[in-house]
Amino acid sequence: MIAGHRHILVVEDDQETAGQLVESLTTNGYQVNVAVNGSDALSLGLSADYAVITIDRMLPDIDGIEVMRSLRERGIVTPVLIISALGEIDDRVRGLRAGGDDYLTKPFSFVELLARVEALARRSDTVIKETVLRVGDLELDLVSRTASRRGRDISLLPREFQLLEYLVRNEGRVVSRAMLLQHVWDLHFDPTTNIIDVYVGRVRRKVDDKQAYPLIHTVRGVGYCLRAPS
Amino acid sequence: MALGIASVHLAKTLRSSTFKLALIAIGIFGAIVLTLFSYVYLSTAYYVRGRSDSALTAEQAILQRTYDRAGRGGLIAIIQQRISDEHFQNSLYLLADPSYSFIAGNLKVWPSDLGGSEGWQNFHVQGWKADAAHQPMLRAALKTLSNGDHLLVGKDIDDLDAFTGKIKAAFIFVIALIFLLAGVASVLVTRRTVGRIEAINTTSRAIMQSGLDKRIPLRGTNDEWDRVAENLNSMLDCIETLMREVKQVTDNVAHDLRTPLARMRGRLEKAYHCRRDSEEDQALIGDTIANLDGVLRIFSSITRIAQIEAKAQRVAFRTVNIAEITRETVELYDAAAEEKGTHLSFVGDQRVCVTGDRDLIFDAVANLVDNAIKHGRAGGHVTVEVVESSDGDAIISVADDGPGIPAAEHLNVFKRFYRLERSRRTAGNGLGLSLVAAVARLHGAHIEMLDNLPGLKLRLVFPPNLVSLSQTVMQATNGGQQITKI
Repeated sequence: MIAGHRHILVVEDDQETAGQLVESLTTNGYQVNVAVNGSDALSLGLSADYAVITIDRMLPDIDGIEVMRSLRERGIVTPVLIISALGEIDDRVRGLRAGGDDYLTKPFSFVELLARVEALARRSDTVIKETVLRVGDLELDLVSRTASRRGRDISLLPREFQLLEYLVRNEGRVVSRAMLLQHVWDLHFDPTTNIIDVYVGRVRRKVDDKQAYPLIHTVRGVGYCLRAPS
Repeated sequence: MALGIASVHLAKTLRSSTFKLALIAIGIFGAIVLTLFSYVYLSTAYYVRGRSDSALTAEQAILQRTYDRAGRGGLIAIIQQRISDEHFQNSLYLLADPSYSFIAGNLKVWPSDLGGSEGWQNFHVQGWKADAAHQPMLRAALKTLSNGDHLLVGKDIDDLDAFTGKIKAAFIFVIALIFLLAGVASVLVTRRTVGRIEAINTTSRAIMQSGLDKRIPLRGTNDEWDRVAENLNSMLDCIETLMREVKQVTDNVAHDLRTPLARMRGRLEKAYHCRRDSEEDQALIGDTIANLDGVLRIFSSITRIAQIEAKAQRVAFRTVNIAEITRETVELYDAAAEEKGTHLSFVGDQRVCVTGDRDLIFDAVANLVDNAIKHGRAGGHVTVEVVESSDGDAIISVADDGPGIPAAEHLNVFKRFYRLERSRRTAGNGLGLSLVAAVARLHGAHIEMLDNLPGLKLRLVFPPNLVSLSQTVMQATNGGQQITKI
C-alpha cells in the first residue's frame, strides 16, 4: 500500500447515509468513491486501489458479506469495514475477526466510523518494534508491563495496563467504548451499562491524578482519546 | 331443517377418510370371510354327496352279488325285502326287463328320461311318494345286468340338499349380518371421529375470528381425542401467554422509549423558539445525543434478547472456561464496586468448562454482577463463585447482602422491562435479567433465586456439558458402568 494513501470506497445504498459518510470522510482528508449496489462495488473495488472499503450489509442486489468474499477471492486484500443495521452482530460478521477486518453497527457516530477507518488504513504500516511507548511524560514498558509518569511508577492491574496500551497505541485518535471492549476484553457486544466508563475512570485516576496535565480525555457521546498537550 | 343438517352430517361422514378406510377394511375382511365360508360350504356339500354315493355303490354291489348267486328270482326277493324294511324307506329300487318294463321295486315306471343311460343320474319322478308335496330330487346308480335286465338303485337326496341348503342359507345370513354390522359400526366410528375433528375445526375457526380465549371442549373420556384436545389447548395457553407477554413488552417499550423521546422533543422545541446560543446549543445537542444513545441501547438490548431466544447464535458454541470468564467480569466490575464502596470478590475453582458462547456468558454474568452492585447494600459484600458440583453441574453464583427480592416477585423479575417499585428510580431498563434468562435458556442452564439472609443469591446452573457427557457415555460403555445423572 502506498504511504499516505487516503482513498476510500463507500458501499451504501441509502443516499442520505452515503452523503453523510462522504462528507465526514472528505472533511477528514479522504478521497471517497460511492457505490450504491453490490455489483458497482465489485467493479469499483476491482478497478482501483483503496485504503479502506466500507460495505453496508443490506444492499439491493448482493449481500455485503458476499461482496467482500468476492473481492477476497479475486485477491483484493484491502481492509473492509462491514456496516450492519441488523441490530446484533451475527456470526458471519464475527467470523471476520480472524480475517483482520472490522465491523460497525448502525446507527453509529461518525467519530467512531472515522476512528475505525483510520485504524484500518493504518493497519498494514503499523508494525511496532519498540519495547517502550511514550506519550508526553508517560512511559509504557511493554516488556516488564509497567507504566510510569515522570519516572514515578503507576501501579496497574494487567487489564488496566492493556487498556492504557491500547489508548497509547491510538494516541490522538478517538477510541469508542465498543472498540475498547473489543480490543481489551475481546468481547463483541455493546455494553448495556456504563461499566467501561467506570473502568476507564479508575485508570484515569491512576494515570492523571496529581500530574502536570491530563492525558486521557473523554469524547462526549463516543469514548476516549489519549493525547499530550501540544 | 333437521333433515338438512342430518344429510350434511351424512355427506361429511361419507366423505371422511376414516369412513373410506373402514370401507377398505370391510372389503378385505368380507372377501376373506366369503372365501372361507365358500370353502366350508363346498367341502361340506362334497362330503355329504360322497357319503351318500358310496352307500349307493355298496348297495348296488350287494344286489349284484345276490343276482350273481341266485339269479333274477333272488334279486326280486331281496328287493322286496328291502322295500318292506323301514330302514330303507328313502331308498329307491327298480328292476326292469331289457325293454324297461317293470319287474320289481318301489318305483313303478322306469323314468322316461333315463332310457339307455348307465352310471350316476339325478332325476325327478312324479308321485314316487304319495305324501310328497313336491317332486323330490332323486339320485341313482344304473346298471344293465348280464341277462339284459336293468337295475336302478337310488336314494331320495332331498334331505341332503336341504341340509347343504341350510348351511348355505346360514352362511349367507352370517355374511350379510357381518357386512351390515361392519357398515353400521364404521358409520358410527366415522361419525364420532368426524364429530371430534369438527369440534377442533369449529374452535380453530372461532379462534381465527374472535381471539385466543376459546378452547376445544373435552369429553372426559381420557381417550386419544381428549389428549389431542388437551395438548392443543395447552398450546393455545402457551400462545396466549406469549401474546400477552409480547403485548406487555410492546406497552413497556412504548413507555420506556416514549419518555426519553418526549423529553428530547420538549427540549428541542424549547430551543427552537429561543435565540441561538452556541454554548447552550452545544450542551443541548450533547444531551440529546446521549439520550438517543440510551434509546438505541434499549433497542439493541431488545433485539439482542430476541436473537438469543431465536437460538441464532448456537453455532458459535465451543468449550469455554466459565471460571475465567467470570473472573474477568469480576475484574471489569472491580472499579464500579470500588466506586460504590462494595467489596466484590471472586472465589471458587480455576477451571470449570461448559459448551457455550463467551460473549453471551460474559454479558449474563456482567448483568448479574451489575445488579448485585447496584441493588446491594452500599459498602456491602458481593461474592461471585464458580464451582463444579459433585454431580457435574457448573454453577456460577452471585450473592449480595442487600435488601433482596420478595419471594412473590421472584418470577416477575425475569420479565422484560419489569422493575421492582423501589428500583424505578435507579438507572437501568429492566432488561438485564431477561437477557440473563435468555442466555441461560440458550445454554440449557437454569437460574435459581435464593435468599442469602440477608440479600439475594442468584445461581446460574449449567448441566454437565455435551462434550464431557459424550466422553462419560463412552467411558461407561467401555467400563460397563452405569451413569446415574445425565
